[in-house]
Order: sequence, then structure tokens, then C-alpha cells
Amino acid sequence: MTRAERQPDRGSALMLMPAGLLIVLVLASIAVDMSLVHLRKRQAFELAAAAANDAATAGVDQGRLRTTHDYVLDPERTRAVVEDVVAASELAPQLAGPPVVTVTAARVRVELVLEADYIFADVVPGAPDGTEVTASATATAVTAP
Amino acid sequence: MTRHRGDHGQVGGIEVLPFGLLVFVVGTLLVANVWAVVDAKLAVDAAAREAARRFVEADVPAAGDFGDAEAAARRAGYEALSAHGREEARSSVELTGLESPGGEAGFSRCARATFTARYDVPVLRLPWIGGFGSGLEVTSRHAELIDPYRDGVPGSAEACS
Repeated sequence: MTRAERQPDRGSALMLMPAGLLIVLVLASIAVDMSLVHLRKRQAFELAAAAANDAATAGVDQGRLRTTHDYVLDPERTRAVVEDVVAASELAPQLAGPPVVTVTAARVRVELVLEADYIFADVVPGAPDGTEVTASATATAVTAP
Repeated sequence: MTRHRGDHGQVGGIEVLPFGLLVFVVGTLLVANVWAVVDAKLAVDAAAREAARRFVEADVPAAGDFGDAEAAARRAGYEALSAHGREEARSSVELTGLESPGGEAGFSRCARATFTARYDVPVLRLPWIGGFGSGLEVTSRHAELIDPYRDGVPGSAEACS
């Protein structure tokens, strides 16, 4: 190949620079969006754990505890405590549905589904605005040693 | 006249350098700021949670005498922020709610204690130099119930039912 034939390629490496930077920034944007999902998942887990922790004691059937000394959770009361805790949280507007509360004797399991909105993917046409994250936590009341 | 072959191709190359630099600087600042907010949110979440946990587990002599417990809880919140590498001067951890089921304010059984942590995220943060400017305020709130049946809490648990 003669020198004259090679000339049209000159400078094309510089054109790759902004393209490369855009690729890096797009990858960074994806990383930030994924970390937002991770953040929301952590928040969902912390909220579920706090709700389960509160409900495991505040949801006890007091009448039965005082008469038979059995520590048994009252399902209705336990659900009410969980709903109060979740409603008082700053994450309440992000809930995709009501919390799922499962009560068995002295154990309560709370499952939450939260919406996690993307920041950067939101501006891409056709891309999803966000996703849903699920977290669950279980608390059991135990007798102090 | 000799040919200046050195100019060939630069028409399609050099002018993109400012554009590339602009994309790089603006894009990096945008991503860095968003990430700073996400990172600060993790820190204030931890601070509010630690403060609330410390407060509801404190031993308090009387319903209205919870100043020491509040101070210890706030200190726990600031320590959580510090553990995340955050400056205390830019942050605040406050008790923003303490209400019993009956509606009275005070440290009593089943009362809900709410702590709010705030952090002022700087506009630009440089390694070794620190942050500049006042950017976004990141806030987190966490509420916990004071255990109705544990020792060290004034009052009766009957109001909890």
C-alpha cells in the first residue's frame, strides 16, 4: 500500500476518543443504576427487619401471656404493628404492595416489595423506568437466659 | 511548494478533542455526583438506624428524662457516619419524633422513636483535598418501637394493647 492510500485513515484514532468516553460514561451510568437497586434492596431489608423486630414483641397476645404465660403472637395485632411501622417509614411511597406478614407462634416473617427507579436508564427510549426488589426478614421472640 | 501532509486527517480529529473533553468532564462530574448521593444515602441510612437502635435500647429513669439516651443515640449516629468516611460538620442526627400509642411524648413502652439523619453532599469532592460547595441534602429517617416488655423502661405495657 502506498503512502497516499493510507492517508484517509489519519486522525480517525482521535474520533474514537469521544466515542470511548461515551462508552465509559454509559457503563458508569449502568453501574450507578445498579447501585441504586442495591441501595433500595438494602433499605427494603432494613425496613423488613425493623418491622419484624418491632412486631415480635409489640404483637404479643397480652391476655394469653398474663393468663397462661405462653408467649404467642396475636396475628391481627402483629400485622397491625408491621403495617404501622411500614406506613411510618420514608419508604412507604415506594411500596409495590402491602407487606406480607406470616405469623407462627412467637415468630413473624415480613416480606416487602419496593419499587426501585432508575436514573439514567429512564432517559433511554424503550428501557424500563425501574425494577422491583423483594426483601424478607424473620424475627423470633426468645426468653432471655 | 511542498505538500503539508501533516494536516491530512486533522480536520476530522482535532476538533473533537474539546468535545471529548467536555463529554469527559461533564459526564464524570454527573456520574460522580449521583454516586456521591447514593453513597451518602447509604451512610445516612446507617446513621439513622444506629441512632434509633441505640435510643430504644437505652435504660431511662423516667419518661421525661431521656436526654442522656438521646445524646448517646446521636453520638452513635455520628459514629456510623464517621465509619462511612463522612464529615460530622456536614451532617446532623436528630430525634424527630417520640410518641407513645396514647399520643403523649416521652420515653415509654411501645413509644415510637424516630431519628432523622442528614448529610450535605458537596458539589465537588476531590481526593486528599475534600469537598467544595453545598450540593444536595441527603436525608434518611428511621423509626423503632421501644420494647414493651423489657427492663429499664418506665411505665406499664398495658397501654400497648
